[in-house]
Amino acid sequence: MANRVAIVGIGQTHHTSQRNDVNQPEMVGEAVRAALADANLSIKDIESMFFGNMETFEGIFLPDHGMAAEVGAIGKPGFKVNTGGTTGGSVVVEAFSMVASGLFDVAMAIGFEKQDCGDTTAAITAAAVPNWAKGAATGAIGEFAKQALAYMKTSGAKEEHAAMVRLKADKGACRNENAHLRLGLKSIDEVMQSPYLVWPLRLMDFCPQSCGACVLILASEKKARKIHKKPVWLVDYEVVHQEPFRAGVFGDPTGEETYTQHVACEKIYKRNNITDVRKQVDLAEIYEPSNWEEMNLYEHLHFCGDGEGWKLIEKGITEIEGEFPVNCSGGVIATNPIGATPVIRVAEAALQVRGDAGEHQATRDVKTAIATALGGPNWTAMFLLKRSV
Amino acid sequence: MAKEPEYIRIAYKAPRPYDWSTGKYLGKVYAEAKENKKLVGNRCPKCQYIWLPPTPVCPKCKVDMGWDWAELPQTGTVYQYTYLVYPLWDPHYGEKWANPYPSATILLDNGTFYRHFLEEKDREKLKEGMRVQAVWKEDYNERGQGVQDILYFRTIEE
Repeated sequence: MANRVAIVGIGQTHHTSQRNDVNQPEMVGEAVRAALADANLSIKDIESMFFGNMETFEGIFLPDHGMAAEVGAIGKPGFKVNTGGTTGGSVVVEAFSMVASGLFDVAMAIGFEKQDCGDTTAAITAAAVPNWAKGAATGAIGEFAKQALAYMKTSGAKEEHAAMVRLKADKGACRNENAHLRLGLKSIDEVMQSPYLVWPLRLMDFCPQSCGACVLILASEKKARKIHKKPVWLVDYEVVHQEPFRAGVFGDPTGEETYTQHVACEKIYKRNNITDVRKQVDLAEIYEPSNWEEMNLYEHLHFCGDGEGWKLIEKGITEIEGEFPVNCSGGVIATNPIGATPVIRVAEAALQVRGDAGEHQATRDVKTAIATALGGPNWTAMFLLKRSV
Repeated sequence: MAKEPEYIRIAYKAPRPYDWSTGKYLGKVYAEAKENKKLVGNRCPKCQYIWLPPTPVCPKCKVDMGWDWAELPQTGTVYQYTYLVYPLWDPHYGEKWANPYPSATILLDNGTFYRHFLEEKDREKLKEGMRVQAVWKEDYNERGQGVQDILYFRTIEE
C-alpha cells in the first residue's frame, strides 16, 4: 500500500509568448520560488527534484543541468523526464511515486517550456517515425484539424459549439492573471470569423505557444499536515501510453477505437468507486489543445455519453458557474508552455480544491477534482485530487 | 549610475543535419518504393492486420511479426482531408512554407488508413469519398525517400 501524498506547494510564472527578460533557468526559478513561498518552505527542505521539459523545442541539451544552481538543485537527487505532451504529467507522477514509496518525504515536480527559443512544430514533426512523415505533417495543428473533422462527423457538433468552448475558456483566462491569451471575447462570431490555420481549424480554435513554468511540492502525510494548512491529496493517478503509430494516422480516424483516455479514466473511476463522474467529481482541468478536442475529451473521459460532448457546452454545464466546471483557468487553449502544461492542470485543480483560485474559482464547492495530460500520439496521464482523505 | 539591463537575444542559425537508419523493416518499404513503385506493409500472423509503417512486433497482439509482406493497393477513398491556409515554418529547412497540397487520410482499398497528399488543389472539388490513386516519382534516381516517392494521390474516375 502506497503512502498518502499531498500537494503542499503550488507556484507558476505568468505565461506569455515571449520572455526576453529572463533566460530559461531564471524563468523556472520564478516558479520554484513561488512554490516554496506557497509552502512556506526553504529549498533546503526539498529532498528531491524532478524536471519535465521537451529539450528539442528549445534546443537546450540537459536543461536541468543548466539550471541546477538557479533552482537550488545542486547536490539533490532527481532527474528530468520527457514524454512529449504528457511530460508535465509524468514529472508529477515521478515526484508522487518517490513520496508514495517512502523514499522521500518532500519532492518537487518542475515543468517548463520557453518556446520563444525555438521551433516547436519542427520538433513535433521530427517526433514521427523519423524518415517517414517528413514534410507530410503540419505538427499538432494538422493533427487537431483532422481530429476536429472526425469529431464533427461522429458527434454532429457544429462550429458554434467549438466557438462556445473557446468563449468559455477565454472567460476563465480573463479572470486568471497567469493565463497567456486573455482576449476578452464577447461573442462566438469573433471565434468563427478568425482565420483558418489548417482547414477546418481556425486561429482561435487552437492553443498558443507559451513560455512558462509550473512547480508543485508534494509531501508525505506526516509532513503534509505540518507544512500546509490546506494540503490537497493526490489520491490516484494513471498513465497510459498505448497507441501505435500507423500510416501517419494519429489515433483512429473513425473515432470508434478505445483511446488512452478511456483506459486511464476507467481504471481510476473503478479504483475509486466513481460510477457517475459528474455527481462524484466536482471539477476537471483537462489538457485540450483545441476547443474541438475539449468536447471530444468530455466523451472520452465519460463526463457524458458518446456524441454528447457538445451538449455539455451548449447547456453551460462546464462553465465556471456550471454544474461541472471544466478548465476554469482558461485551459490549454489559452496557455500552453508544453512541459509545464500538465503540471498547471494539476496545480489549477489543486487551487480549486483549496478554494484559492481567486477570480477564476468555480462557483460550486470543489472537494474532488480530475486533472489530465495529453500528448502525441494520444497518450494520457490522469490524476484524482481530494480535499480530504 | 548603473544602467537598466539590456535584454539581448542570440540567434543560432547553424543547421543540424541528421542521418537516420531505416532499419530492416522500414528499409523494405524504401526498397520496394524505389525499385518497384510498390507500397508494402507487413502482416501480423495472429490478427492478420497489415501494418504500415511495418513493425517487428504487432502493436496489438504483441507477437513477432515475422517476414510476411503484403502489397497495399494504390487506390483508395478519401476519408477526410484538411488543407493548410496559414503558412507554417518548414521544420526541416527553417523557412516559411505553405504546402499547396491538401493532406488526406485515405482508406486504401484493403481497409488500411493511409496519410498522404492530394493532387487536387481546388478546394471546391475536394470531397470526402472521392476516389484517388497514387502517383509516383517517375525518375528512378529521384526515388529513395520511402513513402515520399509517391508525389500525391490523383483523383480518378471509375
